[in-house]
Amino acid sequence: MNGRWEVSPQSPGVAATIGEVWQHRGLLRFVGDRALRKTYRRTVLGWLWLFINPLFPLALRALVFGALLGVGSDGLPYFLFLLAGTVVWEVFSTSVMWGTRSLEMNRDLYGQVYHPRAILPFGNMTPSMLNLALKIGIFALALAYYTVRDDRVYLRGDWGLLLAVGALLLAFLFALALSFFTSIWGEKTRDMRFALGGFMGVWYLLTPVMYPLSQVPAEYQGWMLLNPLAIIVETFKWGLFGVGAFYGDAFAGTALGVLLLLLGGLTYFTRREARVVAER
Amino acid sequence: MPTFINESPRSAHPLSERAAEWVIAADARDRVGDRAAEVWQYRQILWFFSLKALRTLYSKTHLGVWWIFLRTLIPLLVGSFVYGSVMNIASGGVPYLVFFLAGQVPWSCFDGPLVRGSRGLEINRQLLVKLYVPRIILPLGGMTPGLVEPAIVGVVLLCTLAYYRINEGIWYVSSDPRPLVAVAAMVLVLAFTFSVTLFTSVWQARARDARFVLRYVVGFWVFFTPVIYPLSQVPAELRWLMHLNPLTAPVETFKWAVLPGLEHSWAWLCYTAAITVVMFLAGVRFFMRAESETMDKI
Repeated sequence: MNGRWEVSPQSPGVAATIGEVWQHRGLLRFVGDRALRKTYRRTVLGWLWLFINPLFPLALRALVFGALLGVGSDGLPYFLFLLAGTVVWEVFSTSVMWGTRSLEMNRDLYGQVYHPRAILPFGNMTPSMLNLALKIGIFALALAYYTVRDDRVYLRGDWGLLLAVGALLLAFLFALALSFFTSIWGEKTRDMRFALGGFMGVWYLLTPVMYPLSQVPAEYQGWMLLNPLAIIVETFKWGLFGVGAFYGDAFAGTALGVLLLLLGGLTYFTRREARVVAER
Repeated sequence: MPTFINESPRSAHPLSERAAEWVIAADARDRVGDRAAEVWQYRQILWFFSLKALRTLYSKTHLGVWWIFLRTLIPLLVGSFVYGSVMNIASGGVPYLVFFLAGQVPWSCFDGPLVRGSRGLEINRQLLVKLYVPRIILPLGGMTPGLVEPAIVGVVLLCTLAYYRINEGIWYVSSDPRPLVAVAAMVLVLAFTFSVTLFTSVWQARARDARFVLRYVVGFWVFFTPVIYPLSQVPAELRWLMHLNPLTAPVETFKWAVLPGLEHSWAWLCYTAAITVVMFLAGVRFFMRAESETMDKI
């Protein structure tokens, strides 16, 4: 680094990759900026999308499922309940979508500048982080509104909040781990992205975002807990509001599973990236 | 007056054994009747585009044709479980699965065909600069693969009805089923969809975000249509509001024609038919005006 140029083969191994990503962390901003620009380029509504995107579906779902159909919400106002679940779900789903597209979207970078490829799935998730920041803003406003309106403190102020933050982080890491696989698969065929869209739709329905886990018939509850996202979402809501149940063992198991998947994903990614890039 | 350099329709006829006659002339077919005749002349091209669009449904997937079935069936079954068993949404006296499927048949005549038809112009861009076809054929051809889904859902509905007949001994079918009315409701939905496609396909060829907007609107439109819940769930004084959505009436009519103990309104069905006619005429006008202008840009 001290002014000399060194041309060497890419260092192998997961640990080396992590070190390299850290060295090149300055590129993250660049990749993120690219992802943001690429999304909203050539669109008429432009950056307005960023706001319509999270707000409109939320309001509509709250209207139909909360007001019209009276779906349960563990005693919370339905909008708040839905918002909390959606925050976690969207951190996961939008990160997976963006991570999957990372290699395909940044194809033209391969030949131009050296960067550890593993930085791409990570950096490409910037739009989803922006989305998260917006959602947290909306959440704070809604929370303040309902607290004043009902004169009741919904948020619990103890260590549960840490657990909620942990659940959020876990959702993100899970998305990152999956992206290490899906971005490699999605580099070849664009169909991967469409298939993933359909898959995510079904996964969303099976995750207790629009309804509480307690409302699932008892004989299916065990099956629902096989879905890691169900545990993460329930833990998040339990940590924030103290509603629902906390499945300690299942949560610890999920955390361990996600970490293992992350290592596995990184290994898979570092083994395959060279081939994928060379085939271009 | 837009001027094109054209081949004569006859020479484009793929099976024509006559020697091709080339006519280079200004396009004077600006009247709707002439355009309709032209589309009829090119019907084999329509067939070609439909087949092409059908094949793209499952080409390049490992599962092949099975992919269509999986992609249609799994969301239906999962949705039925979540809405029916978990959320306990009312279903008007029949098992929720039957109710849900009966709503999905007319709805899938809108959902899939609209999204696919709207891509018609955009994805055939390359072809459009090489040969002349009446452009209106492209959204129409693009809609065709969308017909596969209603067919699958319809078959699944029949299987489900048979299952309940065998297991519970009850036919969850209207005492005097009206298959013709059911088919008419589906045709009405398709006609409405095509009218909308005339607008959306042009928008989509022009601007990229039309696709996102469309996906959004369709994703939410289903919530304003009584597909996952019965119309009776909506407070009586707000039902007229629901009926302003042109898809509400045909969906309700379809369910009335198939399922027992439901009501529907012929008046609102006529409203939908009227909207469809107006949209169709406006759509054709819009499409004809826009095509020459848009084609230059893409």
